[in-house]
Amino acid sequence: MSARPGDNLQKLNSMWSPVKQTATCVVILFSIHFVLKAEKLLKRSGISHDVIPVPREISSDCGMAVEFSCLEKERVVDLLSSAGMRIAGLYRRDGKNSFQPLSQEHIAAHAVN
Amino acid sequence: MSANSTPIYADNAATSFPKPRAVLDAVSSVLAGVSLSPGRAAHRFSLESSRLIFDTREALAELFNCPDSSRIAFTCNVTESLNVGIFGLAGVQLHPGDHVITTALEHNSVMRPLRYLEKSADISISMLPVSGEGEVLVSELPRLMRDNTRLIVANHVSNVTGAVADIEAIGRQKGDALFLVDAAQSAGVFPIDVMRMNIDMLAFTGHKSLLGPTGSGGFYLRQGLALRPLKMGGTGSNSETEIQPDFMPDLYEAGTPNTLGIAGLGVGVNFVSSTGLAIIREHEKRLCHLFLDGVARMKGITVFGPSAAQERAAVISLRVKGKSESEVAQSLDRDFNIMVRAGLHCAPAAHRAIGTFAEGTVRFSFGLFNTEADVAACLRALEIICKN
Repeated sequence: MSARPGDNLQKLNSMWSPVKQTATCVVILFSIHFVLKAEKLLKRSGISHDVIPVPREISSDCGMAVEFSCLEKERVVDLLSSAGMRIAGLYRRDGKNSFQPLSQEHIAAHAVN
Repeated sequence: MSANSTPIYADNAATSFPKPRAVLDAVSSVLAGVSLSPGRAAHRFSLESSRLIFDTREALAELFNCPDSSRIAFTCNVTESLNVGIFGLAGVQLHPGDHVITTALEHNSVMRPLRYLEKSADISISMLPVSGEGEVLVSELPRLMRDNTRLIVANHVSNVTGAVADIEAIGRQKGDALFLVDAAQSAGVFPIDVMRMNIDMLAFTGHKSLLGPTGSGGFYLRQGLALRPLKMGGTGSNSETEIQPDFMPDLYEAGTPNTLGIAGLGVGVNFVSSTGLAIIREHEKRLCHLFLDGVARMKGITVFGPSAAQERAAVISLRVKGKSESEVAQSLDRDFNIMVRAGLHCAPAAHRAIGTFAEGTVRFSFGLFNTEADVAACLRALEIICKN
């Protein structure tokens, strides 16, 4: 095996980098499982995105989040909701370290399942 | 005596062997590279570990027709899964005075937790009886059901008799009770559809017919059903709170998981799915038929369980007249290079049901990688043992 374990991921990350010129949104999910589920759904729908560490400004949680172009916001929310996934938070990136929470309407209560 | 030059492994009901080459490769590449802490850090090794676990979950969800892969949680083995199911229900869904129905073919991983609750939590237990051929009599279920029947626990395939229980029929008749299925021997050979079979909780292991490494297993839990977790701790999610997350899979997966085992299991499940359950079942049925046919011609061998290969799994218990079970197993290993299991197979009730308590049986169990030549070698060895 000549490939290093991180190679694939690096390749994928560079392929999927969202178009940074447009405003981006960050969706917070309840755990890494749902982040990876979201990644699978977005990939299948051809929506470019990045899996990023949850920005410190949003939460002190040690998890991951998904960042994508705000132009795709409705599509992403629809995709996740129709897969039965609950969204813990949805933000618009205003600057490098600045995030604006978006309307709460899509954000499910943290209910017992 | 003619020892076989290469060992013949006929103990697949304990642990399947060998594993597909791809499973070995997956485990070693994970160990060489990314087996760190999934879901705990933002670096790429952690994310890759999480991805391996996610992929295994998705593959299992597809195999069992679970609509949502987050409803599958990983454990070390089916024993842990059954313990989470039975003890996790106690005090939540199962209260003093409640009634549980199970079968006379259960493994100790079901019977010991149930017997414990019977004594400590005032649960009463009824057993579905077994036919002379060692098959669960599902037709007796309505007679055993009570108003306070809260749980039904059933073994899908017996590790002693090889009999296959009609779990779909149990699921149809379960009423308000919860239905927990022990799929230790069936997952990876027999089709399991948790929706169609009305299964509330499915307990499975990774190291038998799903072809994964030991130390991998898990369970499916129906949407809307919550158990008390047996362990709590770090999950990589909700780290700011000291309260265990209330969502699956994190609720039941505290602590760093067995990434190696789960990654290997994922490759095993993919191997099973791409081979196809129908082909695997057909292969094992063929080997079972050859073996049953062969031993039927020998004098001095008693076979337990259903007599027709199409009604059973390739797990065959037998006895050789005038010889102890351990003596036969030892001779098979020492003189013929054939590995089987002898004794009670951790299911005393099943042995009582078929009349082989307390000596047990000699158990041959064939898997996907056994060949017709293996079966022929087993038959030759048994023939010689019978004559000596």
